[in-house]
Amino acid sequence: MVLLSVPLWLRSRLTDRFWRVQEVLKYARHFRGRKNRCYKLAVRNVRRAFVKSTQARRQKKRFLRALWITRIEAASLEHGLKYSAFISNLFKTQVELNRKMIADLAIYEPKTFKSLAALAQRRRQEGFLAALGDGKEPEGIFSRIVHHY
Amino acid sequence: MASYTKAAQQWATFARAWYLLDAKMQPPGKIAAVTVRRLEGRHKPIYHALNDCGDHVVIINTRHIAFSGNKWEQKVYSSHTGYPGGFKQVTATQLHLKDPTAIVKLTVYRMLPKNLLRRTLMQRLHLFPEDVIPEDIEKNLLQEIPQPRVVPRRLDEYTPEEIAAFPRVWTPVLMLLLAIFLLKRLIPGDLSSTASISSRTGVNSG
Repeated sequence: MVLLSVPLWLRSRLTDRFWRVQEVLKYARHFRGRKNRCYKLAVRNVRRAFVKSTQARRQKKRFLRALWITRIEAASLEHGLKYSAFISNLFKTQVELNRKMIADLAIYEPKTFKSLAALAQRRRQEGFLAALGDGKEPEGIFSRIVHHY
Repeated sequence: MASYTKAAQQWATFARAWYLLDAKMQPPGKIAAVTVRRLEGRHKPIYHALNDCGDHVVIINTRHIAFSGNKWEQKVYSSHTGYPGGFKQVTATQLHLKDPTAIVKLTVYRMLPKNLLRRTLMQRLHLFPEDVIPEDIEKNLLQEIPQPRVVPRRLDEYTPEEIAAFPRVWTPVLMLLLAIFLLKRLIPGDLSSTASISSRTGVNSG
């Protein structure tokens, strides 16, 4: 046989079993203890790691949403509004920004966030006037709804 | 903001601030809720559990906290020394007399998230029983956190002008008449009840 490179020579020396074991161990190299070296222990733990990563793909969405909500709450309280009031009034003004974008705006575009908070506060006041005013006052400007159909 | 370098802006964003909180006439639970929020860093839009973005909080006048209700006599702080027969139960009053900062310290400790960061965050909490603060801490202070509870004023703390300006809702004569009217309505037939009692006693004796 003519073996033209070192990897091919290496492959011919090692058995197939070596390569099958390496396929599993390569996912276990960052584990702690003997499970990063010994195949029997590694197989079990690699399978657990894969199962956890599959479940975590669903949980990541939950965690990130909770993180965005915490950040929006902190930013809106800086402007004197609670999170519930902010989000509900933003929804009523038909501003369809999701929590991810609002959280990013709160960090990187503070003036934009301030204007959003002011908008929500104004819509909130208009809502109170509409509820308590007995229909004598004119409708609020920001309470108008645009129909896209 | 745009004129600063990126490094300087990041340094300023993630800097640790020192806040002051006056605990005079405040319930320790509300004090702790506010401080825990600041210690964790949840008041910042850049919050993340791994970010370590919490601030320092200096609480003064912890000797003058005010429990509501009968908690000074009824609230019990328990501990165990680890030795047999070492279970100790102390009322809030006794603990407060022994150590004026202990109540606030325990309240904050128990409100923090129960993870490995708790001890680090407790080190960023500074408690002082009175107004006196060391100079190096006083130099670090940035802002005062508003008190969670509105402290009510005593009657002698109001000026005579304010008392005179307060609208009169009732007068004493009116109240007396009202009281008599209500009593007559609530206890129907005073005379008939006394008559029935006398007739019954008459029957019994006879």
